[in-house]
Amino acid sequence: MRTRNLLAAIGKTVAVAAMLFWSLFPIAFIVMSSLKPGQDIFAVPPRYVFEPTFEHYVSLWQQWGAFFDGLLNSTIITAGATVIAIAGSTFAGYVYSRNSSRMLDASVLFLIVVRLIPPIVVTLPLFPIVNVLGLNDTHAIMMVLYATFFVSLGTVLMRTFIDQIPRELDEAAEIDGAGRLTVLRRVIVPLAAPGILAVAVFVVVFAWNEYLFAFIFTSTRAKTAPLVISEMIGSIDGVDWGILFAASTVQLAPVLLFVVFMNRYLVAGLTAGATKG
Amino acid sequence: MAGLQLEKLEKRFGSVDVIKGVDLEIKDGEFVVFVGPSGCGKSTLLRMIAGLEDITGGTLSIGGARCNDMEPRERGIAMVFQSYALYPHLTVYQNMSFGLTLNKTPKTEIDARVREAARILKLEPLLARRPSQLSGGQRQRVAIGRAIVRQPSVFLFDEPLSNLDAALRMDMRMEIARLHKELGATMIYVTHDQVEAMTLADKIVVLEGGVVQQIGAPIELYKKPANKFVAGFIGSPRMNFLDVRVTGVAGGSVTVESPSIAPVTIDARGFATGDRALLGVRPQYLKREGLDGAAGAVRGSVSLVERLGAETVVSFETASSERALAAIPQDEVFEPGSPVEFRFDPGAAHLFAA
Repeated sequence: MRTRNLLAAIGKTVAVAAMLFWSLFPIAFIVMSSLKPGQDIFAVPPRYVFEPTFEHYVSLWQQWGAFFDGLLNSTIITAGATVIAIAGSTFAGYVYSRNSSRMLDASVLFLIVVRLIPPIVVTLPLFPIVNVLGLNDTHAIMMVLYATFFVSLGTVLMRTFIDQIPRELDEAAEIDGAGRLTVLRRVIVPLAAPGILAVAVFVVVFAWNEYLFAFIFTSTRAKTAPLVISEMIGSIDGVDWGILFAASTVQLAPVLLFVVFMNRYLVAGLTAGATKG
Repeated sequence: MAGLQLEKLEKRFGSVDVIKGVDLEIKDGEFVVFVGPSGCGKSTLLRMIAGLEDITGGTLSIGGARCNDMEPRERGIAMVFQSYALYPHLTVYQNMSFGLTLNKTPKTEIDARVREAARILKLEPLLARRPSQLSGGQRQRVAIGRAIVRQPSVFLFDEPLSNLDAALRMDMRMEIARLHKELGATMIYVTHDQVEAMTLADKIVVLEGGVVQQIGAPIELYKKPANKFVAGFIGSPRMNFLDVRVTGVAGGSVTVESPSIAPVTIDARGFATGDRALLGVRPQYLKREGLDGAAGAVRGSVSLVERLGAETVVSFETASSERALAAIPQDEVFEPGSPVEFRFDPGAAHLFAA
């Protein structure tokens, strides 16, 4: 019995170590490489002990101003998309949670089906439309696109969260004199806050990292940071890997911190509705 | 303060009739209890008055104004829910002041009203707590406080005590009775517990299957039930119903008998000789002695005895294999299996169509 316990413990440790290695190795590799002197980055065998240097970050700042413009664009677009997606998901989730009709129930299925369509299938036909509307290469269109992509999942998520708030609270508030919007603002939103944060995490991560939509719909004014990083690879003077890794680290840091900070809401969002709370 | 009129009030969910034409007049300041078994429509009727359910047909007036289509907030009502429905993210103070802040009552007045309600309900030390930090009884008091603060003309209670344990339920029952006296407001109270109904109500409305079975003062319902349903529902232990045959009719009285019941004459109308009928006698009215020759008598054999100290509940089987109960207001020893005879005052018995 004791050996079996021991084996189980060893097995668990190995499995967790493997998972950690699997997920942390790329991050560690990028961050460490950004701090290595140029000749050490791809040295064989790899060097784990080296003199850290910030030279690549300095070069990034001096040579790639476009990257920091991209970061600013990414920030604006991510923030806007998050606000729109949260507003849309919360309103829609509330409606889905508190009303029931055959049409509504059927439309939930479509919300999920939308997520199954390959993004490129939706994207290309949109291009001429966006052009005609004169919205090409604007922050606004990117916000709307990213938000739209997440409103479906966000709505389903928010419905699950709001379903857990007893309906009597709505009724008590109605009797207390609240209209629908006031019920939503003063009762539902505060109680569904973990759900809103979970949706926020999904949208932020998606919008911050997204490449395909940005590649098609932006060119200069609204170009996001991932696009600039990809340009570094295609640069005519060859790839400066040090700068590339420095840019990747800068790109990675905020979203990594955000996810670590919001971790528990993310888990809450993924498991919402799994058990009756 | 306001009275209510319900005229032919109806509620349909799809093709299901839940409330089938309820007529009811509630006077200003009256304490009315809706009582009935689960699914009888009592909560639905209350929610229709609150404005939480649409009214399918008929008219609802509060304080003389028709309010079928008014929003709940326009009806001048406050409601206490079975689940309390306190806002979990707000403190007791904020829960109670929620409605007042919505209609922009001045801060000083909100504070005065909340503190007054807290004083009445002894909630003062709890004002800064959240609902999760309160016991069930305290939560219910906050829910009542939230209603009081709004100074409504009509209070609605939806089974407010059914989530509390027995001892607390009795305390809160008295508290609600005291509150009614103190505030003098119209109160409508839904319960399936007939003890709550009997002790609190000025007027009880017995509902069954979405239809009003009887409306009246508690004692009136107890002493003069309009039909077998009300007779069986009000009173504990339940009224005995025994099969009898009508052997004679004269004026306003009917003589009945059965193999286990000696011929007895009861005040009743609408029966003809030869009819089958049900004789209703409450267990408390079955006695062993002290009744004269005109009294009815039921014979049977003892099957089960519950000795409660101050009361003995005897379950016995009649000669025609019917089960009946007698509640003797003292401690007494009965031998299971032994023959027993109980007598009853014909004036306390009821006759229902079988």
